[in-house]
Amino acid sequence: MLKEDKEAQEPDLLRSQCRHYHRIKITIVFFLLAGICLFLFGRLTYFMVFQAQHYAEKAQELHERERSIKAARGRILDRNGLTLADNKTVCTVSVIYNQIQDREEVIRVLCKELDLSEEYVRKRVEKYSSMERIKSNVDKETGDRIREYDLAGVKVDEDYKRFYPYNELASKVLGFTGSDNQGILGLEVKYEEYLQGKKGQILTVTDAKGIEVEREGERRIEPIAGKDLVTSLDLNIQSYATQLATQAMLTKEARSVSIIVMNAKNGELYAMANVPEFDLNEPYEVTDAALTDFLKKKTPEAENFDLAAAREALSQEETQEILNGIWRNACINDTYEPGSTFKIITAAAGLEAGVVTPQSTFSCPGYIMVDDRRIRCHKTTGHGGQDFVHAIMNSCNPSFVTLGLRLGVERYYGYFEQFGLKQKTGVDLPGEAGTIMHKMEDMGNVELATVSFGQSFQITALQLLTTAASIVNGGNRVTPHFGIKAVDPETGEETVFDYPVESGIVSAETSETMRYLLEMVVSEGGGKNGAVEGYRIGGKTATSQTLPRGTGQYISSFLAFAPADDPEIISIAIINRPKGVYYGGQIAAPILRQLYENILPYLGIEMYNQEETTQSED
Amino acid sequence: MSFLKKLRGGEKAEHYSDITLWVVLLFLLGFGMLMIYSASSYTAFNEYGNAAYYLQRQGIAAVLGLVAMVVVSYIPYHFWEKFALLGYFLSVVLILLVKTPLGVESHGARRWLKTGIPGFNLQPAEVSKVAMILFLAVLVCKMGSSVRRLKGFLVMLGAPLPIALMIWKITENLSSALIVMAISMVMIFVASPDYKKFIFLGLGVITAAVGLVLLIQNTTLLDGFRSERIRVWLDPESDVEDTGFQTIQALYAIGSGGIWGKGLGESMQKLSFLPESQNDMIFSIICEELGLFGAAAIIFLFVVLIWRMVIIANNAPDLFGAMLVVGVIGHIAVQAVLNIAVVTNTIPNTGISLPFISYGGSSVIFLLIEVGFVLSVARSIEFRD
Repeated sequence: MLKEDKEAQEPDLLRSQCRHYHRIKITIVFFLLAGICLFLFGRLTYFMVFQAQHYAEKAQELHERERSIKAARGRILDRNGLTLADNKTVCTVSVIYNQIQDREEVIRVLCKELDLSEEYVRKRVEKYSSMERIKSNVDKETGDRIREYDLAGVKVDEDYKRFYPYNELASKVLGFTGSDNQGILGLEVKYEEYLQGKKGQILTVTDAKGIEVEREGERRIEPIAGKDLVTSLDLNIQSYATQLATQAMLTKEARSVSIIVMNAKNGELYAMANVPEFDLNEPYEVTDAALTDFLKKKTPEAENFDLAAAREALSQEETQEILNGIWRNACINDTYEPGSTFKIITAAAGLEAGVVTPQSTFSCPGYIMVDDRRIRCHKTTGHGGQDFVHAIMNSCNPSFVTLGLRLGVERYYGYFEQFGLKQKTGVDLPGEAGTIMHKMEDMGNVELATVSFGQSFQITALQLLTTAASIVNGGNRVTPHFGIKAVDPETGEETVFDYPVESGIVSAETSETMRYLLEMVVSEGGGKNGAVEGYRIGGKTATSQTLPRGTGQYISSFLAFAPADDPEIISIAIINRPKGVYYGGQIAAPILRQLYENILPYLGIEMYNQEETTQSED
Repeated sequence: MSFLKKLRGGEKAEHYSDITLWVVLLFLLGFGMLMIYSASSYTAFNEYGNAAYYLQRQGIAAVLGLVAMVVVSYIPYHFWEKFALLGYFLSVVLILLVKTPLGVESHGARRWLKTGIPGFNLQPAEVSKVAMILFLAVLVCKMGSSVRRLKGFLVMLGAPLPIALMIWKITENLSSALIVMAISMVMIFVASPDYKKFIFLGLGVITAAVGLVLLIQNTTLLDGFRSERIRVWLDPESDVEDTGFQTIQALYAIGSGGIWGKGLGESMQKLSFLPESQNDMIFSIICEELGLFGAAAIIFLFVVLIWRMVIIANNAPDLFGAMLVVGVIGHIAVQAVLNIAVVTNTIPNTGISLPFISYGGSSVIFLLIEVGFVLSVARSIEFRD
């Protein structure tokens, strides 16, 4: 044992003994240290046990570099299972700086195979980055050829690119996808959630500089393919409608022609053609026609344009403006003044309200005075006295004005709303335009009179078609649509889409009367050119002015349904700014006649008694 | 004390020889080299083409240090008495030399001196720590009973201050300055019979620190590089890109280690994610690879090492020997505790190496020389019944 403390000091201070308090203090120092160590152990336990997961996940994120694997986008199919939008395999060529061995050889091969300038390739190959993309959307053969060189540091990843086998067909309905395979227009964007699938990932563990750490291997999360979208489009009907529309556009030198073919009972759209269409495989191409139109609008006096020079000179905004014009779906994105086809609505409202019957008589002196305004009939000499059947057959404006005035603003407006004209149709395409209508409190007799024969307000073509369908199909307002179901390509699991149907828009009696009246229009009235031998067709023609008025340009249209006694198909053809003869009955009606001659047998709709139709021909 | 008998290594042994101390010390050194290799081989290979670059340098330093330690342990520790004042002035001169062309800049600070031996630079702060331990041990003994008076306390407190201020201001090394002060405080605490002064001093330091933190947190009066570190300390994830980078990377390493660790050599964070992974941040790599278990073992070994030294100090033949050992205890304990505190973000980030384990030639050589003092003191313990 050591000596006890002594108070007495020894001469050599440096050899003096430790005192008792020194030992106590040294021991205190030790226990303080032990205490601090215990506390630090607690800190460590907190991080390594309770926060371990949090930090481990964060660290994992930091260590992993991910490369995504695109999921195959779902196809878009027509009602018979034919593919309208598909995927094709393309390659993305990239270089990994750290893995390249022969830099010059890599540059040479990539320049040659990818047809790129040396400067462009060199810049990317010599850039110090973990992975540099050289070119994407390289076709598979080229990708395979590059792979065969077996160059270290060159990666060829396979990828999918959207491919539209029918190029222009239903372009404005189908839409297209962007560089990342995301929907940009039409059904592609509307059904994005079903079509897109889920990206997969290749996770590679790397060090801080992005170099792969071999021992960690890679983790692969497989992509989930998108679902196929089965649409109501019928490739044959769509093709034929597009053909007819193109023909009409060319012969009538029209700005554009649209045709919609719809199932009158459930709202399935069989075709929606809007010519000029655009090539879905080259959606960003500014076509000559579109460019000319654009230039004409800019400088109306000029005659000839140097298109190549003008194309170069386009600013980004101008290009986008032209493209937006090219991509517009006129049936849905644009509104127009429907004109006489809207008399279907006025007639149905009149019948519903009981202010008119087919036997009611009207007289037309060629004009009608509303307040102090004189509204002319298209037949300036007047139709004279006629019953309601003939008023609609003749599309007599004064008679419909009279009918509108009988209803009055409030009641008319009520029917306008009841028929669903103020709501959107709910079609499954983006950007549907709403109705542009007077406010009820702003409507006087003059406004009411013009609305009665389809002027002074605007609706979309699809809105008109949908409303007409609900009037003739027994009073059910259907939702026009393309999407029928989404099908999982692997499991076959289906998601069937439901669309609301609002019944009781008009009574069954009114609907029946309307079918009779509109059949009379086609069999004996202004829609004669729309008659199809062997079928009972109901319909209504229209010729409206383009807005703003006074340009001497017209929109001719014809709306027709078949069979007239139990409508299955309802269609509308709209010719925008035809040259020469512009009456809907003369130029639009024949389009639907030709269409029906072909598609009614194709759809298996039974012919009506031959004799009776022959008899009804005038 | 019966445990001393057990450790005597036989009844006939004349000198006290602490086997536990030796084992723990050699284990820490060997383990340190293993961890330096594990933590640095990847970056060393990328930078120098030699995976063992840091290991080799540390190995040479460790061997030199061990030789020095053994030599020092055989020199009676009273031999060093006369060098106390000389050592004090030597450290002043060495610190000033940093400002001359002999100074070497590294990691953005001028803290090293050329030694003439290629690849080995001397950090004057390390010399100051040894010199200060020696100087204070002598000072305490020379003061005799005046340590009890306030004047004596102030003299002891005043001795390390100039050195600490020079280390802070001239070599821009606040952490080493604080360590010198902390070692001195441990020695003064042991030397002085008083408690009140230390409790007040401790409370004062804590109050000042809290006040400073609050001031930095709530005002912009003290903006600058150090206050930024304190902000980052309070919320390291707020600045993942910049100042908080190292702290966050250390926490990622510690957290992802879990209880059992990823296994030796399996650290991800050492793959150039965590700067200074073989140096000040090596403890976090230990945590990542060996888990809470390994980290606790290392802390435990430090406690054992200190405990052995506490026993030597308490049995030292005289006050000078005891004070010398207390100084070494202070040095090792303060650095180990502060290093682990930094790595776990318990205190703001500042560069403090982990004794015997972190990469650093000067540090390991001077630490081993200090252990040499301790062993020399131990050798002069005589057994009496």
